[in-house]
Amino acid sequence: MTKLKNQAGNLCFSLIIIGLAVMPLLMAAGVAESPLIIFLGKCVAFSIVAIGLDLIWGYTGILSLGHGLYFALGGYGMAMYLKLRATHGAITEFMHTGGLTALPAVWKPFQSLPLTVLSVLIVPAGLAYIIGYFIFKNRIKGVYFSIISQALTWAAYSVFIALSPYTNGNVGITEIGSLAGKIRGSANQGRLTLLFYVSLAILALIYATAAFLVRTKFGKLLIAIRDGENRTYFSGYRVSRYKTFIYVLSAAIAAVAGAIFVNFNGSITPSQMTIAFSVNMVIWVAIGGRGTIVGAVIGALLVNLCEYNLSSGGMIEVWQYIVGGIFCVTILFFKGGIMGLFREQIPAFLRKLKVRGGQKVES
Amino acid sequence: MKKVFAVVLAGGLSLAILLGLTGCGGSGDGGSAGGGDSVTVGLLHSLTGPMAISEKSVRDAEVLAIEEINAAGGVLGKQIKYIEEDGASEPATFATKAEKLVGQNKVATVFGCWTSSSRKAVKSIFEEYGSLLWYPVQYEGMEQSPNIIYTGAAPNQQIVPAIEYLIEQGYKKFFLLGSDYVFPRTANMIIKAQVAAAGSETVGEEYAAMDQTDFAAIIAKIEAAKPDVIVNTLNGTGNVSFFKQMSEKNYDASKYMTMSFSIAEEEVAAIGANILKDHLVSWNYYQTTDTAENTKFVAAYKAKFGAGRVTSDPAEAAYDGVYLWKAAVEKAGSFDVDKVLTAIKSGGISFQAPEGKVVINGENQHLSKPVRIGKVGSDGLINEVFATPSPVAPDPYLTTYDWAVAANIKPLE
Amino acid sequence: MRRFREDTPLLLAVYLVKNTPARRPNGAPAWSRVLIDLAQFFNTVFNGLSLSSIILLTSLGLAITFGQMRVINMAHGEFVMIGAYVTYLTQKLFLAVFPESLFSVYYIVAVPAAFAATFLLGSLLELTVISRLYGREIDSLLATCGISLIFQQAARHIFGAQGVNVTSPKFLSGGITVGGCTFSYNRLFIILFVALILFAMWFLLYRSNFGRQMRAVTQNRPMAKCVGINSRKVDNFTFGIGSGLAGLAGCSVALLGSIDASVGQSYIVNSFMAVVLGGVGKLLGTVLGSSVIGFSGIAAETFVSSSIAKAIVLLIIILFLQKKPQGLFTIRSRALDE
Repeated sequence: MTKLKNQAGNLCFSLIIIGLAVMPLLMAAGVAESPLIIFLGKCVAFSIVAIGLDLIWGYTGILSLGHGLYFALGGYGMAMYLKLRATHGAITEFMHTGGLTALPAVWKPFQSLPLTVLSVLIVPAGLAYIIGYFIFKNRIKGVYFSIISQALTWAAYSVFIALSPYTNGNVGITEIGSLAGKIRGSANQGRLTLLFYVSLAILALIYATAAFLVRTKFGKLLIAIRDGENRTYFSGYRVSRYKTFIYVLSAAIAAVAGAIFVNFNGSITPSQMTIAFSVNMVIWVAIGGRGTIVGAVIGALLVNLCEYNLSSGGMIEVWQYIVGGIFCVTILFFKGGIMGLFREQIPAFLRKLKVRGGQKVES
Repeated sequence: MKKVFAVVLAGGLSLAILLGLTGCGGSGDGGSAGGGDSVTVGLLHSLTGPMAISEKSVRDAEVLAIEEINAAGGVLGKQIKYIEEDGASEPATFATKAEKLVGQNKVATVFGCWTSSSRKAVKSIFEEYGSLLWYPVQYEGMEQSPNIIYTGAAPNQQIVPAIEYLIEQGYKKFFLLGSDYVFPRTANMIIKAQVAAAGSETVGEEYAAMDQTDFAAIIAKIEAAKPDVIVNTLNGTGNVSFFKQMSEKNYDASKYMTMSFSIAEEEVAAIGANILKDHLVSWNYYQTTDTAENTKFVAAYKAKFGAGRVTSDPAEAAYDGVYLWKAAVEKAGSFDVDKVLTAIKSGGISFQAPEGKVVINGENQHLSKPVRIGKVGSDGLINEVFATPSPVAPDPYLTTYDWAVAANIKPLE
Repeated sequence: MRRFREDTPLLLAVYLVKNTPARRPNGAPAWSRVLIDLAQFFNTVFNGLSLSSIILLTSLGLAITFGQMRVINMAHGEFVMIGAYVTYLTQKLFLAVFPESLFSVYYIVAVPAAFAATFLLGSLLELTVISRLYGREIDSLLATCGISLIFQQAARHIFGAQGVNVTSPKFLSGGITVGGCTFSYNRLFIILFVALILFAMWFLLYRSNFGRQMRAVTQNRPMAKCVGINSRKVDNFTFGIGSGLAGLAGCSVALLGSIDASVGQSYIVNSFMAVVLGGVGKLLGTVLGSSVIGFSGIAAETFVSSSIAKAIVLLIIILFLQKKPQGLFTIRSRALDE
C-alpha cells in the first residue's frame, strides 16, 4: 500500500509522458498540426527548467528569481553551435555589422558538437558554482538571495545587450535550425518526431534523477535545510555545500532546458534572460505545486498550454488578470498548488463532508 | 489509498485538460484561408508588455483597413476575418504565436511585428512555412526575406535623406544617440559612413539601455562633445526621459537641434509639444500630409478610435500593408501565398496611400515611398519642411550609394 | 568604421577610458580649463545627487515595508506608476475645470492626491492580501508579483496602452545656470522633497507616538499586543505609508520620464538593491545605499556605455554584499534567523 502511495507522483508523470508521446502519432495521423508539436517541445523544455527550479525552491527553500540566466546561457551555447553550423564556421552577419573580421575566440569551441554539449553544461554550472559558493558561504538566504539573483540576471542581461558584436544584442541568435535539421512544415515531420522524442527522453531522465535524488538521504537533507537551516548546521552538516551543489545541479538542468528550447524555437534572445521570464518559471512551479517534482511538470505544461490557447483574440487583455489572479490566490490559499489541492485540500474537504454526513446519520 | 487515488486523479485530470486544450487549439480555424465566404488573416502585435505603447496603434490601423475593405465588399468577394495574437513584447512568444497562426490556423497572411528582434525571430518561421508577413515599421535595412513585405521605410528612405538634409543645412558636428539595440547600432554605422564621406564629423556616439530613466550622464557627454546636431535613434520610453531632461537644462531646438527617427505624432503627445517644438524628425508620412486619401484616413481613424488619437507613420504603413495585400491578392486572383508572391514579384502592386502612391518593388519587396522631413509644431503635429520631389526607390543594402559601398556597408556574401 | 579586434574584450577598458568625453577645447588657457573642469565636476556631483535622490525616493517606501514589516512588495514599482498616473489625472482635471492661469497649481494638488490614492490602495492591499502573508517573506514577494501583473494590465485598460504626458508646472520647468552649470528646478525640487520626506519619516518613526507603536510591533509583536497596541491597525497604516511614499515618488518621476503601464519596472531593481545594500530596517542605510548606487552609476556612465555601467554597479554591490551580507548598517540582534 505505502509502496503504491509513494509511486503516485511517478504514475502521474508516466501518464503525462504517455500523453505527450501520443502527440507525434496524432500528427502522423493528420489530427494534430506540426506547430503544436513544436510548441509542446518548448513546453517540455519549460518542464525541465521547472524541475530544476523546484529542486532548489520547493525542496531546499532557495527562491531564485534569475533562473532565466542559466536557461539562456544553455540556449546561447546551443544556438552558437547551430548558427556556426549554418554558416559553416564562418563569421556571422551581426559580427560583420559589429565590425569583427574573424570569429571571436569565445565562439570557437562551438564549432564542434561535443565541445558545445560540454560547454552547455559546464559554463552555466561553473557560473552557478561561483555565485552559489560565495552567496551560500556568506549565508545570504531567503529574500536576500532572491533579490540578488534578480539583480545578477539584470546585470547579465545588460552585458549581453552591450556586447552586441558578440551576442547580437537584443535580437539574439536567430535563423538557426535544430540539431535534427529543419523541423518545420509537413515534409520534415520525421525529424520533428525524432527531436521531440529525444527531448521527451531527456525530460524523463531528468525527472527520474530528480525523483530519485529527493528520496535519498540527500533529499531529506535538502528538506531539512528548507525547514530549519540553522538546526541542520547544528547537526553537523555543511549546509552551504549542499546548497551550492543543488544550486549548480539546478542551473545545469536549466541549461539543458535552454538548449532543448532553442532547438524548437529556432532562435534565442536575451529576453529569455529577463526577470519577467524568470518570474514566469516560478509561477509555473507555484501553480503546479512546489515540493513535488511532478507538480513542477504539471504547472509548466498547464500554464503554457493555457497561455497558448487563451492569450489570443479577445482574451489577450484578460489573460494577464487571470494569470496574475491565479498566481496570487495560489500563493495565498493553496500553498501546494494543483498537487497540493489534490493531495491535501480535496481529501480534507471530502473528509469534512463525510464527518458531517456521519453526524447527520447519528442524529 | 485515497491519497494515491487523488494524486493519480490529479494527473489524469491535468492530462485531460492538456489534451482538451491541444485538441481545441488544433481544430481552431483550420483551413479557413481560402474556403467559405471569408478569408482569415492574422494580426501579431504586442498588446501587453512594454512594447504595447507603440504597437497598439499599428494594430488599430490594420483593423481599420480590414473593416474598410470589408465594408467595400471584401477581397475577391470574400470578407476578411482576423485572428489576433499577442506577442507580449517577447521575441520567443512572437515565434510561437507566428507558428500558431501560419501552421495551425492556416491564415492567408500575417500583419505584424514592430521591433527588429521580433521580426528576426519570426523570419525563419515564415520562410520555412512559405507564408507571408507584412512588416509595417521603418527599420535598419540589410535584410530581404522573400516571405516578408516591408511597408515601412528602408534606411535610404528615412535615415540617408535626413542626414543629407542636415548636411545641406550646414550642420557639421553630429552626435549619435540611440537605444542599445540593432536599429540604432546599424543606423549609426550608416550615418557615420555618410557623415565622414560628406567631410563632416561625428563627435560622439552613445547608447542608452532600453529601460534607461536617467539621462543626466548622457546629456553631460553631449555637452562635452559640443555637437551642432543630435541624431536621435532612441526608441520608446527613452525618448520621453531624454527630451524631458534636456528641457530641464533649458536646452531647446535652438541650442541642440535633434533629428529623430523614432518620434512620430504619438511620441510627441507623450513627450509634450512644448518640449519638442521645432525639433526635426524624418518619416514618410505625417498626420498633416496633404492628400485627399489622408484626410479620409485621419477622419476614419479618429472616428473609430477617438478624437484624441493621432495617426503616425507606422500606423499608416500598417494601413497600407492591408490594402497592398488586397491589391496583390486581386492581381494574383487567389489567396495562395505562392501566387500572391509571384504577383508581387512581377511588380506594379500599388496603392494610393495617405502618404501618396506607394509601389511594391518586386525585387526587394520594399515600397518606393516619398521621404518627408518634418518639424514639430506647438500643436503637437508635425509639419513638413522638406519632401523629396518623387518617391524614393527602396535600397535596403544601400548598394546605389558610393560612400556606403566604399565603407563596406553590405552583408556578407 | 570601427573594427573590433579579436582581443577587444581585454582592450575594451583601455579603449573606453581613452574615449571618455573629457575632451577639452584645444588651446584654451589653463585657467579656463580649470574652470571648465570645475563646472564639469559640479555637474557630475549634482547629477549623482539627483539620481541618488530619485532612487532614494523610490526605495524609501520599500525600506518601510521591507524593513519594518518584512514584506517584500514587488508591486512597489506599480505604486510608483499609479502615483504618476494620479499626477496625470490631476493635470487633466485642472485643464478641464480651472482657468489656464491656475494650471501650475495642479502639481501642488497632485502631490497630496498621489499620496492619498496610493495610501488608500496600499491599505486596501494590506487588508486583502498582505495581512495573510506576515511571516512568509518569500510568499509575500510572490503574491505581490501577481498583483503587479494585475496592476499593469489594469493601467493599460484604464489609460490605454500609449504613454501619457505630464507637463512640468511653470515653477519647475527649466533650470538655473550658475557658472556654466545648469541646475534644473525639478531636480533641485526632488532633492529638497526627499530631504523633507526623510525628515518627516524620521519624525514619524522616532519621535511620534505612532512610530513608537510601529517599532514596538516590529520588534516584538506579542509583547506589543500585550501592552495594548492594535497591531493590525499599525500594520495597515505602515503599509499604507510605504505605498504612499511610492506614490510621491511617482509624482516626481512623472516630470522626468515616461508615464506608461510598465514604468514601475524600471525602478524596482535599483530600489531593492538600495534597501538591501543599506541594510534592512535602517533609514540611514537606505539613504547611503541609494547614494552609492546613484553616484557610482553616474560615475561609471561617464566612462562606459549605460548598459555596462548598470551591470558594473550591480556587480560591485553584489560583491560588496558578499563581504557584508547584512548591508552597510546592521541592526544588532541576537536572533539566529535575522
